Amino acid sequence: MRKYLARRAVYAAVTLLGVSLSIFVILRILPGDPLVAILGVEGHARMTPTDRVRIMADLGLSAPLPVQYAHWLGDIGAGRLGKSFFRGDTVAELIAHRGPISAEIAVLALIVSWLVGLPVGILSAFKPNSMPDGLARAISVLFIAIPGFWLGMLIVLALLFWFGYKAPIVIVQLWQDPWRNVQIVIGPGLVLGLAQGAYIARMSRSCLLEVIGEDFVRTARAKGLREGLVVLRHALPNALLPVITISGVLLGFVLGGSVAVEQAFGVPGLGRALVTAVIERDIIVVQNLVLLYAVIFVVVNVFVDLSYAWLDPRIRYG
Amino acid sequence: MSEHLDRRSFLKRAGAVGAGAVVAVRLSGAERAAAQDATFHPDPAAKRGGTLRYGILSAAAHFDVHQSGTVANIGPQSPMYDTLIRRHPKDGQTIIPDLAQRWEISPDGKKYTFHLRNGVKFHDGAELTADDVKATYERIARPPQGIVIPRTPLFATVGDIVVLDPHRIEFRMTEPRPKAYMLGAFASGWNIIVRKKTLDDNQGNLRQVMNYPGTGPFKHVSRQDKEVWIQERNPSYWNKGLPLVDRLEIYHLPPFSPELGSSFLSGKIDYARLLDPVSWRKAKEMPGVTAAAFNQSVIQAFWTNMQKNKALADPRVRRAIHLAMDRPTLVEVVKDTAPMQVGGFVYPFHETSTPRAELEKKLGYQKDIKPAVQEARRLMKEAGYAGGLRGLDFVVRDIASFKLWSVAIQAMLKEHLNIESNLRVVQTSVWFDEAKAGNFDLAISAIVSSLMDPSDIFSAWYGKDGPQNYSRWTNPAFHDLASQIERELDDSKRKPMVRKAEDILEQDPPLIPVAYEQIYDAWYNRVHGQNPSTYFGIYDVVRWDNVWLG
Repeated sequence: MRKYLARRAVYAAVTLLGVSLSIFVILRILPGDPLVAILGVEGHARMTPTDRVRIMADLGLSAPLPVQYAHWLGDIGAGRLGKSFFRGDTVAELIAHRGPISAEIAVLALIVSWLVGLPVGILSAFKPNSMPDGLARAISVLFIAIPGFWLGMLIVLALLFWFGYKAPIVIVQLWQDPWRNVQIVIGPGLVLGLAQGAYIARMSRSCLLEVIGEDFVRTARAKGLREGLVVLRHALPNALLPVITISGVLLGFVLGGSVAVEQAFGVPGLGRALVTAVIERDIIVVQNLVLLYAVIFVVVNVFVDLSYAWLDPRIRYG
Repeated sequence: MSEHLDRRSFLKRAGAVGAGAVVAVRLSGAERAAAQDATFHPDPAAKRGGTLRYGILSAAAHFDVHQSGTVANIGPQSPMYDTLIRRHPKDGQTIIPDLAQRWEISPDGKKYTFHLRNGVKFHDGAELTADDVKATYERIARPPQGIVIPRTPLFATVGDIVVLDPHRIEFRMTEPRPKAYMLGAFASGWNIIVRKKTLDDNQGNLRQVMNYPGTGPFKHVSRQDKEVWIQERNPSYWNKGLPLVDRLEIYHLPPFSPELGSSFLSGKIDYARLLDPVSWRKAKEMPGVTAAAFNQSVIQAFWTNMQKNKALADPRVRRAIHLAMDRPTLVEVVKDTAPMQVGGFVYPFHETSTPRAELEKKLGYQKDIKPAVQEARRLMKEAGYAGGLRGLDFVVRDIASFKLWSVAIQAMLKEHLNIESNLRVVQTSVWFDEAKAGNFDLAISAIVSSLMDPSDIFSAWYGKDGPQNYSRWTNPAFHDLASQIERELDDSKRKPMVRKAEDILEQDPPLIPVAYEQIYDAWYNRVHGQNPSTYFGIYDVVRWDNVWLG
């Protein structure tokens, strides 16, 4: 097990190094001048070449690329993650302030996806090709097909025009005011959760249908166990492994989807910070946030892999 | 209840303001001093207290107001600062005293002397002196290396800035400029007065200094990036009785965004600036809400690269393109995205420009575009391009209104002149890179000016080396005339000269005007003391000292 963990840690480190290098290079070769955002359109138009040299030096952008990359890795090592080009805020502060909201949304989405997806999947698998199954499958496909940001916008507009309601416009952390905090995260959490729930419903249905046909399930039924017990105690645990695997993958979709969904709901989370940073060409913020997302994705997937051994005693890592 | 400013009432008010300015200019010295004793005082019926929740773009890229050109700075930061003189919050036009209690202009227009108020304190307790004003204006007029200030050209003729005593400062001009132009420059909301020590301590760069002391009516309390900036009443404000509200909460809500609209319509904010048309129309119908539209200092246009494309270097081709634009339709195309109005090469609402009724009779601005298209085709034929043009690279800034327009313009060019273009949508920063480098045939965007005065736009937009002359346009007759207009101190002589300049621009377009922007504001009727209907732009009256809650 230790060997396995060490191997996974090395793979993870190499993956993250690759991500950091890719994002660093991509951001530097993409067209677009961060000085437009800094100086504004008129200021940028009036900037002399000497001004440019001076400002680029101030921003640390005139150093050779390997030096800039080494500085960034140094900053990551020191936990500072660098400073935004613009206002001088550190990326660590940005993450500390906005991260909890985005994390809440991701966790809520995960909970919703399981709470909705699993029962729907079980219901479908219980009576395959029945009317409830058809309905559940149709709704699942619908939620997979609907873009989260569009659904988010509809919800925001419906709440506004029917009830004159809008969620708080500034971040309120859970520990500051739980009720206002819930109002911020509930919308994006539900939208992202329902979309992921649709995948889980489909996956759990197909896995359960497969497992339900196995001998041990037939034996359980032959013993006279109630159908509910057969499914929940015998079939479901054996059908969960692929569902857990897909949950890890889906977290990537949640992270990616949160960028657009936070924007649609106007939630000032990390996803929205990333969108703004991309528009402003604030490459220090972009590279750190992308790396953070990559770290989360890699770590979650390592945990998903490790959870197999816990869920299925037949699996052992050596 | 909405207050809409129509052309007639605008002209009346502008006329009154203009007449006032003329009278003030012609007063004798003593009378002039009395006329200038017009410091803004609060409405006697005004109530004190409360919190004003204001929604505006406020995620600035930095904190240096002088170096900025965006409302993201001036929106949240202006309440903490004062200027030397200012525009009256009632009409947004009349220039009144601010930190300078009065001023004198020498008869030859080459000396501007400002008398500063005594006892004005910065938020850090230091007293305002002429040295602070000198340091501020030296920086604006002659920025140090690495500091870029868009208003620098307004003070191009400022020679020496001389401190006469701690409360008196003189600006000596190398050559005179029209008074309205210079006073407008001094009254610009961008030119906030900062401490000399602040500039010295930060090597003249305030880009990353969030809370540098001002003398303004509000003081910084806290700020959460891209969320909210909270400010409180400055109890030691020099203008006793102001400000009227105890606290300002300035929320970062991007212009024309659903967030801004929904925050206002749900009552989360009291005052919204730069509403999208749909939310604004909804707000207009709401009881207890006032919605206002006013002119903005922005032209929406597309440029024709004269250096890269031989055909576009021909004035006849550019005029043909200009005439092929169905402007009322272009305004209609974006009516749910951004509020616009038809205009030519000079702000259509400026007193020296061709009046709207007259403009609408001209080719290129008529509702029936057939005669204009006919003339455009004739010009294309005359220039040798009767068969049209192929493969023009049309660079489009990635903003909703430009994307909508570019498709409409592409269709108009094809249908009217058989000009085929390929749209290339790029991010804002890339657009400016491409425009500066000349990597385009056509390029659509928007540009702003600090002043409504034609001389400001004639140099910045159409000047031979103008920073926003992306077409690389030159016209010796125009440049010569623009230079004369800039130096002409007599307004009655300037007006016909500006019209003549417009005529040159019509025949030899340096850019193709698409529309002029408007601003949509709305506020709940509990907010009193400010109605921007007659304002020009969103950069001059931005302090909220006059606003009270009822």
